[in-house]
Amino acid sequence: MARAKLTTKNLAQRIDLEYFKHPHPFRRLRFILSVALPVIALLWLGWYALARNDRIYSGGRMSASHGVLSARCSACHVAQVGTFSARATDKGCDTCHDAPLHHANQLFTPSCAACHAEHRGHPRLAVTADVSCTQCHANLHTTGAATHFTSDITRFVGGHPEFAALRPGGVDPGTIKLNHAIHLKHNLRGPDGPVQLECDDCHRTAKPESRWRFGSNTPAVEPVAQNAIPPSMDPSRAYMSPVTYAQHCAACHGLQFDARFQEGVPHDTPDVIHAFLLQKFQKYIPGHLAELSVTAPNRNLPHQPIPPPVRVFTEQQWVAWRVAESEELLYRKTCAQCHALRFAANAPLPSVAKSNITQRWFRHAVFNHDTHKLLKCVECHSGALTSQETADVLLPGIATCEKCHRGGREAAESRCFECHTYHDWKGEKRVKGTFTLSASLRSN
Amino acid sequence: MRIDRTHRAWLIASLIILGVATAIYVVYAASSPAGPSGGSAIGLTFGIAGSLCMIFAGLLAARKKVPVWRLGRAQTWMRGHLWLGLLSLPLILFHGGFKFGGPLTSVLMVLLIVVVVSGLFGAVLQHYMPPLMTTRIPMETIFEQVDRVRAQLLAEADEMVEAVCGPLNLQNVARAPRARSAVATATIATTDTLPLCNFYSRDMRPFLQQERAQDRALSNQIKAAGSFQGLRTLLPAELHDTVKNLEDICEEERQLRRQIRYHHWLHGWLLLHVPLSLALLLLGCAHAIMALRY
Repeated sequence: MARAKLTTKNLAQRIDLEYFKHPHPFRRLRFILSVALPVIALLWLGWYALARNDRIYSGGRMSASHGVLSARCSACHVAQVGTFSARATDKGCDTCHDAPLHHANQLFTPSCAACHAEHRGHPRLAVTADVSCTQCHANLHTTGAATHFTSDITRFVGGHPEFAALRPGGVDPGTIKLNHAIHLKHNLRGPDGPVQLECDDCHRTAKPESRWRFGSNTPAVEPVAQNAIPPSMDPSRAYMSPVTYAQHCAACHGLQFDARFQEGVPHDTPDVIHAFLLQKFQKYIPGHLAELSVTAPNRNLPHQPIPPPVRVFTEQQWVAWRVAESEELLYRKTCAQCHALRFAANAPLPSVAKSNITQRWFRHAVFNHDTHKLLKCVECHSGALTSQETADVLLPGIATCEKCHRGGREAAESRCFECHTYHDWKGEKRVKGTFTLSASLRSN
Repeated sequence: MRIDRTHRAWLIASLIILGVATAIYVVYAASSPAGPSGGSAIGLTFGIAGSLCMIFAGLLAARKKVPVWRLGRAQTWMRGHLWLGLLSLPLILFHGGFKFGGPLTSVLMVLLIVVVVSGLFGAVLQHYMPPLMTTRIPMETIFEQVDRVRAQLLAEADEMVEAVCGPLNLQNVARAPRARSAVATATIATTDTLPLCNFYSRDMRPFLQQERAQDRALSNQIKAAGSFQGLRTLLPAELHDTVKNLEDICEEERQLRRQIRYHHWLHGWLLLHVPLSLALLLLGCAHAIMALRY
């Protein structure tokens, strides 16, 4: 039996001409899915709408500090009366944060969200883009007179001016005569023999870490309270505490004034020292009346009368004599070794210049020594090894900072916010909290 | 639809739009203090442009419902669907600053990516498979009629074999195990036709009946040719025409099975693409409305 030839006509006759009226399972499945998926999407939206929860419309994960408000959109998105809009405005931020202005004479004030982008999942809202700063500082103008700040800062690496103190003419305003090079020499004479001073024998943050080798060890604050604060949250670790005579100098630089006494004078003003000396000698002489007779030293000076070999003082004369001798020693040698003293013509006591030790060199930036503690001090303060003058500024230059803070993934942070803050926190006002715990945790 | 030189204008226009959009985005992203945001003026512009592209792409389905309306050529709509739909992805990524955002926007981004990728996959299949089908399935028929044609092939084969071997006990053959069916047919066959009856009832008919019998020798063209050649050696010459016809029916059956397989590839992606596109457009509307609020 021969099979019929497969002509086009034969092939067409195989087809049910009304086949398209019967839905094929493939098309039916596509239709079902096309209805089901949008319905599921609607149910998803409806579920949240019924629960009055707008979290699904969130633009992204909240920052760590605002995470607790994730379920409460209305904390920031305050609905405006009579409108559909509930956009987050600065007013919402001001409820909790009174962030002061940068400068009174800035050209414009950006909104909070212009720099602090929420819903980006950033752990820190303070992490802002450089352009937040450079939009003004790349070409700085103010509403007032011309500013003395550098007006063309575009970035940190290669675009930041040298630190002000290191620019030409910059000097350390301190008046304490300190020679770093000598203090860092080997075999200095210490209280108990030769010593090699280390930087942290004099320079430490306020955090009491270990005993001072050459000074008092009285902690500034209660150790228990200090230890309870994690290092990252302890502001006292940021800056070096000021060098003080008692903690850093006293062990080697004693203030002895007379061989009769072991103790030295207090490290205080000349008036206090004078009163101390008077009191000291007045208490001493009644028990040592034999010392009122003083054998004069052999001073055969030309044209001067030969003094009597033995002088006998009254107690008052003796005290005045010893006080004058002690002050002569102190103010001509001991105190003058470190302090700048000025002797006025008719003043009985010298005046001591203010020490003017700079505690914070960066007036418009922050720095944290604690986070840099992995480095040797001289890696940054290399000038300390050779500095002989107080006027030497031992601050590391910006090139030193750029060695690590150079941008990129394998370098330390180099964006503006790392050192600078926009808000002038001196003008911060206290904000009274308005939220309750239950309201904060409840979705709106 | 083949992606040929007729797409050149769309390709060039899409590349120009993409280039301009990328340049704008790069400048915008670099100059935005808080980074690119969908809520900024430029971000919104990207969002609106991307949404319009998606809506146009989605309108293709509506256009197909009214083929007689004079709304432009179907090919133009398809090209627009393809290129503007593809363009919507970078525009929406620029809109969101390459971030997925919150729950709804994340779902939207995932949907968009799946829709665009599935669409690209479909476009590639639509480009390469039709020529392949023309070559490999010359007996192609309307997909919805494949089952009907296959039933006709089975009936035709039954008729041929019955003409030679006598009436087949179809119910027994269809239901009985292999050995019993062989015995059943052998009782009505002569000695000369016995190999044909046995072959048909044991191998060929089950192959024609069962769509998924891929493991059978007749599913493979070379093995099938060997089987039929062996059958010819067992049969007298006057039955060789019948064997040839049965071999042709098997070949047609194989092609129809191949058509089913290719059809699933060629159109299966639509099961993902179309429903997700509808969900994307719906959720996109919700996103646009709520973005006005927040």
